[in-house]
Amino acid sequence: MGELVQGTLEMLVLKTLRRGKMHGWGIAQHIQQTSEDVLRVEEGSLYPALHRMELAGLLDSEWGVSENNRRAKFYKLTALGRKQLPKEAEHWTRLARAIARVMETA
Amino acid sequence: MRFWKKIAKRRRLERDLEDELRFHLEMSGRARFGNPARIAESCREVWSFTTLESWWRDFRYGARTLAKNPGVTAVAVIALAIGIGANAAVFTVVKAAFSFDGGVEKPERLVLLQPGDALRDAAFAQLFFDPRELRAQVRSVRQIAAFSMASMNVSGSAGLPERYFGAIVSPNTFEVMERRPALGRGFTEQDLAAPVVVLSDRAWRELCGADPGVIGKNMRVDDVLRTIVGVMPPGIMFPENADVWIPLNPATAQRLPLIFGRLADGATLATARTEIDGVVRRILNPAPQGPLIEVEPLLEIYGVYASRPLFVLQMVAVGFVLLIACANVANLQLARAAVRAREISIRMAIGAGRARVIRQLLIENVVLAIAGGLFGWLTALGGLRWMDRLTLQQGRPPWVTLAMDAHVLLFLGAVTLGTGILFGLAPALRLARVDVHRAVKDGGAAAAGGARGRRLSSALVIFEMALCVVLLAGAGLMIRSSLHVYGMDTGVNSSNVLTVHINLPQAKYPRPDDEILFHRLLQARLASLPGVESVALASALPTWGYGIFGVDCQFEDATHAVVQGLLTGADYFRVMQAEVLHGRIFSDSDRDAIVVNGIFAARYFPGGDPVGKHIRIGDSWRTVSGIVPDIQQSISPQRTPLVYIPYAADPRREMFIAARTRVPPSSLAAAFRSEVQKLDSNLPLYDVRTLENRIATNRLEVGAIGMIFTVFAAIALALASVGLYAVSAHSVSQRTREIGIRMAMGGAPAKILRLIFVQGLRQIALGLALGLPASMALGRALRGALVGVSPFDPLTLLGVVAILAVAGALGCAIPARRALRVDPVEALRCE
Repeated sequence: MGELVQGTLEMLVLKTLRRGKMHGWGIAQHIQQTSEDVLRVEEGSLYPALHRMELAGLLDSEWGVSENNRRAKFYKLTALGRKQLPKEAEHWTRLARAIARVMETA
Repeated sequence: MRFWKKIAKRRRLERDLEDELRFHLEMSGRARFGNPARIAESCREVWSFTTLESWWRDFRYGARTLAKNPGVTAVAVIALAIGIGANAAVFTVVKAAFSFDGGVEKPERLVLLQPGDALRDAAFAQLFFDPRELRAQVRSVRQIAAFSMASMNVSGSAGLPERYFGAIVSPNTFEVMERRPALGRGFTEQDLAAPVVVLSDRAWRELCGADPGVIGKNMRVDDVLRTIVGVMPPGIMFPENADVWIPLNPATAQRLPLIFGRLADGATLATARTEIDGVVRRILNPAPQGPLIEVEPLLEIYGVYASRPLFVLQMVAVGFVLLIACANVANLQLARAAVRAREISIRMAIGAGRARVIRQLLIENVVLAIAGGLFGWLTALGGLRWMDRLTLQQGRPPWVTLAMDAHVLLFLGAVTLGTGILFGLAPALRLARVDVHRAVKDGGAAAAGGARGRRLSSALVIFEMALCVVLLAGAGLMIRSSLHVYGMDTGVNSSNVLTVHINLPQAKYPRPDDEILFHRLLQARLASLPGVESVALASALPTWGYGIFGVDCQFEDATHAVVQGLLTGADYFRVMQAEVLHGRIFSDSDRDAIVVNGIFAARYFPGGDPVGKHIRIGDSWRTVSGIVPDIQQSISPQRTPLVYIPYAADPRREMFIAARTRVPPSSLAAAFRSEVQKLDSNLPLYDVRTLENRIATNRLEVGAIGMIFTVFAAIALALASVGLYAVSAHSVSQRTREIGIRMAMGGAPAKILRLIFVQGLRQIALGLALGLPASMALGRALRGALVGVSPFDPLTLLGVVAILAVAGALGCAIPARRALRVDPVEALRCE
């Protein structure tokens, strides 16, 4: 994920959490599987991002029990996070289009 | 407090982070996980504690750095503790002295109405014995009231009479005070002639055992049975330290009361002056030309307010001490800069910002200041105890309490932080400018020292010296004043004299003859006690002041002179052992003779002999019967013309009795008390003291200021000398190599000595150049407290120069000796 444009990881996390609450490992797995292994989320980026988003009020967290009966920290979207997703998505679309145009004209 | 909450929460967050990452690790298998410590660290950064934590880290780092240099740190902490402690102590005293309100609401709005020059006392008395007429007409001062202070003999339920300070007040006084009694009521206009009394909280506790049902009970005050109608809440002692209030009846009042009132809302001193002048002019019509009335803030009558400038000076003096301490610590830090330069350079080389380095150094200095502040607090406690004793001997007003309260602690905290930043800033800025490249390469020694660093150090020393000069000059002037006061010949033999103060209540001794009879009986009884040689009455005692102010003497050639006077018994001069110089003393039955002192004779009868001459005092001509030596009635050595009038000519209720004894005078105190009780069991004998003790107390007024100034100056001198020493020593240690080379080249020791001394003495000379003009300004400010010495006393200034020169020479001598011992071989090798 190191090569991803900054802010993209947060968007992906927001999108992923639209499905419901999830722990960090789950989020990483979901992004990786959905992108068919193209996007591999590094823990070193994921956890600081999660904590940052939590402090910013985009995410909420609670401790719960994972599918294999382990204590795990689950994240879910807050109302603010829910509102943030379309903005991030729009921003991303604009960015992607811009990149595409540059690539085409060249 | 948010900080500590975060710190507490921090532990839980740390545990959670660990759990979260461990869960991920287990799910993924170790191989796929990055460096857990680094991930954890990145997460921690997100929590934004880092700023708080880095402050804490700087704090701990600073404490560790200081602990590594126990010697330097101890010196700095001691200097700061003295500086901060002295400031806190003096601040406590000043605050206590300025906090007086007598328990009155907004005392600064109270004004005192006094007769102006154009209004003779008699006319004023007519107008002002009863302020009710003024009250009806004046608008700018509402509630014009009157009081006189008096000490009263009060007999409580225990039966024994006690001496209390009290006030005779017009019924509306409590309204002017704007305070209501805690029990019962105040006075009303119907109480004017009624035997009623209001007690202070303290008197109520002491005399009535805090009995809540005390209202309506009777109590004997100055031999009048009075009904207690009210008890005031604690802390109320208007006008100054009253415990008993009785109503003032203008019809029977003996003394002119003080007239005062409260400025109406929106009125100022100036508008009140104009309005009252107009009103008085209308009432007196036709009114004399010139000022009729003076309106002054009531607070001006309190001694403490009069000596406000002295308190401010003390604050300035002690502030100087602190500045010197700060300059010293700054210098110590600068000296250490050489050692620190390398450390700082390395930190900056690996990426620490300048701001960060400055912050860290400042925090380190604040840590130092906090240590200084803590010890300073202890110093202040000790200092306050000393001042407590000193002022108690001096007859401190009872409302002054020298205790450190929240304000003082706040002040202490602010001073502590302020000094930390003050003395930390220069070294911190200096170090942060360090040339990283050179410092790392040269091992630091050259980088931080440098010419600029030395100049800053020596500027600080010059500054210390200048402040020191000012304090030394102040102390010198006060010491010279004290010497004058203590060395002054009082004109009497004060050893073996016991004195008491007696105030006969008017109710029991209504006529002058009653007073004369009582005093004569008491005098005879005391004189017959074994061990007593002679006994005399006097309206004032040596150094105590004057018994009668402004005696208008008219001479035979119709010229006038206004002098001070004393009422005395015939034996007064025998008791004081002041032998008559010429002529004879009046006898006790003599009413028309007077005695004058030497300076009176010299001034008004130059070259002539006053004995046998007539002087008119009041309405009657009196004959001068003798000349006595000058006896000092004030602590100033200035000689004042005095007339001594026989007691019988103008008997007073309030007199001193002085007795010369053959045995130690204090051993007779109990016998004196019992003789008084035999004559009047309701008359308390208070203020029984030896004459020596009284004179010592009066002298302490000047002596105490002198002592305080001297202590500050001594501390300042010690600190400044240590500062000079430190700078010289540091400069020697930095120039070891240079000195070694000079010696190797055959430089004479004398030249090397000169090198060191010239530097030190230059700093002293510059300090003097700056400090001497400033000390003259201080001398001017001190003028009110000086006795027999000019504010620009050359001897004092010379003394200051000498003391500073000696202290400076000592400060240079030790480093100079070390410089002479430099072994050239060692010095060259050590590079």
